[in-house]
Amino acid sequence: MAIYSFWIFDRHCNCIFDREWTIPADSSSGITNSKQNEDTAKLIYGMIFSLQSMSRRMSSKSNTVRTIATGKYRIHLLSTITGLSFVLFSDLKQQDLSQLLQYIYSEIYVKYVARNMLSPIDYAENDSEKRGQGFRKINNRNFIKAVQDVLGPMVNQ
Amino acid sequence: MNTASSSSNAAQSSASTASNPSKSLKTFGENIWKTKTAKVNAELFTLTYGSIVSQLTNDYQRDYAKINNQLYAMGISIGTRLIEDFVARTALPRCENMVQTSEVISKVAFVVFLNINPQVTNWSNNKDAFSLILDENPLSDFVELPIDAMKDLWYSNILCGVLKGALEMVQLDCKVWFVSDILRGDPHTELRVKLNRVLKDEIPAGED
Repeated sequence: MAIYSFWIFDRHCNCIFDREWTIPADSSSGITNSKQNEDTAKLIYGMIFSLQSMSRRMSSKSNTVRTIATGKYRIHLLSTITGLSFVLFSDLKQQDLSQLLQYIYSEIYVKYVARNMLSPIDYAENDSEKRGQGFRKINNRNFIKAVQDVLGPMVNQ
Repeated sequence: MNTASSSSNAAQSSASTASNPSKSLKTFGENIWKTKTAKVNAELFTLTYGSIVSQLTNDYQRDYAKINNQLYAMGISIGTRLIEDFVARTALPRCENMVQTSEVISKVAFVVFLNINPQVTNWSNNKDAFSLILDENPLSDFVELPIDAMKDLWYSNILCGVLKGALEMVQLDCKVWFVSDILRGDPHTELRVKLNRVLKDEIPAGED
């Protein structure tokens, strides 16, 4: 199993965290919260948003998309009822990483972001930064390190 | 408001438990309290809250209207964060109506964070407002209000803020306030929740 990248989107449709690994042999390679990834993030969110609303229309409202597979990679998705989306790109070998995403949410995000009272919880400071127009990221060292510790070993497996 | 961390395992998906009727919601809440919540001494918690209120009383020179507002504001900032903790721990789906919301609040949320189980009563005709009767309120153990505070202070007003902040994060814009309080000589402590409107999920610019 290999992991390619990890993204978090908030309820304002903004990408608030991204981590992309570029060299499989080196788990610390790649970029974190990069400006270069802005457009990619918008594309990813657009794809998820459309599939999400499509799947809702075809069944009940609480239905959510969990994985999306293409010919080359698989996307794993965790959407919380507070509007966060955790998105993980992996190779096709891995069927379901929802447990891992739930772990990242409850043990890393909640621990280092939600319980960190002095860091913001809402990454849009005013209306012009909502609806996917924001640029603020989770720049919390503990959080970035914990994500790297959990996902790093899986980059090349 | 028990902020102690949950145990190491990731919260198991509980969507199946949640779709069952309300009876199992109660056991569900109790299980989370028993297995996934680290406990702290309730007296420590009660006294910590008491010292916050008494500090505010000094700072605002017994202007109880201001103190109520301040407690409410503090509650909101707690609630907006606490909801993430709650969602991560329970993995419940979004509620479809206020009846479900009231059950989750009374049978899961209050049990998980304070280990109390308030009663839900006094539904409005169109089912958009309900009351929570807090028979036991750990915030106000040992508390006796001074005469000048009895009329104006809502001692546990932080709870209103917490509910308001948390509900807003799941797109429920509500008004939350105390109707009565045992500390003020009333027969019950009653907290009222009224839905203003269900907020719309944001969509990316250009998608509408």
